Amino acid sequence: MSESQEMAVNLDSQTAAKKWTGGFAAMIGQWAIQRVRGLIQLISIAVAVIWQGLQPLTWRRTVRAEFFQQCHLVGLRALPFILITGSLVGLGMVYQAIYWLDVFGQTKFTGPILVIVLVREVAPLFVALTVIGRSASVILVELGNMQLDGQVRMLDAQGIDPFLFLIVPRVAAVSLSMFSLTIAFIMFALVSGFLMGNALGYLDVTLQEFIFRILSEMGLAEFATIPLKASFIGFAVALIACTTGLSVTRSRSDLQAALSRGVTKSVLAALLISGLLTLLL
Amino acid sequence: MKGIAEHRSILRFEKVKVFTEQGGSSETIDYEMSLFGGDLALINLERPRLGSILADACCGLYQAAEGSIFFLGKDWSALPSDTANALRGKIGRVFPFGNWINRLTLLENILLPQLHHTRRKFAALRDEAVHLAEQFGLPGLPVGLPDDVLRADHQRAACIRAFLGQPALILLEEPTLGVYPEILPPLINAIRNACDRGSGVIWLTMEDQIWNDPLLPATRRYRLTARKLMEVIR
Repeated sequence: MSESQEMAVNLDSQTAAKKWTGGFAAMIGQWAIQRVRGLIQLISIAVAVIWQGLQPLTWRRTVRAEFFQQCHLVGLRALPFILITGSLVGLGMVYQAIYWLDVFGQTKFTGPILVIVLVREVAPLFVALTVIGRSASVILVELGNMQLDGQVRMLDAQGIDPFLFLIVPRVAAVSLSMFSLTIAFIMFALVSGFLMGNALGYLDVTLQEFIFRILSEMGLAEFATIPLKASFIGFAVALIACTTGLSVTRSRSDLQAALSRGVTKSVLAALLISGLLTLLL
Repeated sequence: MKGIAEHRSILRFEKVKVFTEQGGSSETIDYEMSLFGGDLALINLERPRLGSILADACCGLYQAAEGSIFFLGKDWSALPSDTANALRGKIGRVFPFGNWINRLTLLENILLPQLHHTRRKFAALRDEAVHLAEQFGLPGLPVGLPDDVLRADHQRAACIRAFLGQPALILLEEPTLGVYPEILPPLINAIRNACDRGSGVIWLTMEDQIWNDPLLPATRRYRLTARKLMEVIR
């Protein structure tokens, strides 16, 4: 190979490397821009939901009916499941805490440990995962199917704003239901844990005293954390489900991809919000 | 005179051009039409999709590339979204394939637009819907889910929804689909009543038997091709 040929090969490989590096950087850049754009879009929709939710005119009877129906589906119908899971977690977690603290003679820490672990961290996240799996995915598929079948367009043609009729009541209902289910979960977990501990003889207090001991360990931050975490997570999860569902416009196979995308985003959002509020409060 | 005409017209397309895209090719459709209270405009379609585009344009959902579409004297493109939605509440529409919200019962679907846009009592709306149901040959209001109801009853229910609440404009996209000819007498009767009250009706069809039916009290006839909406004199 002559010297000029070698130089040409070198130049070619350098150009290819530059192209590859440039292409890779462009790909990362595009990915980042898309993510930022998606986040800004989501935040702007969230602001619009809050703004419209505060307008009395939004809550006409059809929207109220949607809200109550969603509260029934997301909140009330999930209650038996929350009763079972809350009790099981209570049996495991509360009983373990009571047992091991009793073994080490540190029963005075029962309240603080349960408040930190169960009330602040586990309950909102566990309920969030339940709501994502049980309700948010259903909302996403329902709205995706409505979009594909032209029902959203039909609502528009009838002057019924899909944003007000579909998104606002669902986000409000899921936020409220998340809060209610979290409280229910904590209550079921504490009561079942107490019953287990009492039945096995590790507790010599009444249920009232046990609950009072835990409540007395809760400061303002804990009282603020539960409603904030639960409702913020519920808000984000419902918003992601609604927007992802309504973004499906092409085919049923798109809906399947949107479902997996929506669930992943929801879980990530729940973890992020939970972590952020733990750090802040 | 123009001012009076503007005031009285229910729907007016003023030198409107609408761009549409289908299968990669784009088309421009010219619309020029005025519909007044008491008018029944029968429109013969060259292709089914043209009907939905025109009906959407009548509802202000298809933005005109040129010209203006006025509904009750108001230009759709100049209206804020909440006012436009409120105005759409004055339009009754039969969609070509029913278009029902699957998780709501047919009764809830029928009453939904009126419950959303008006403060009329539920019982009063239900009574009016029952009356319309009897007119359209149903023994009563269908209360099942849309999937559980016969297709023929879907079409009757769609007519009930379109005529409920005495809308200013009634858009009928193939309203006889699957129920021709038995639905014709009650439908014509309902159209006459609506026109007598001052509503305007647009009937979009591809069916020759409808287009040639001498019983239809059409005051205007149009032919809609992929290029233009043309008035036809018969």
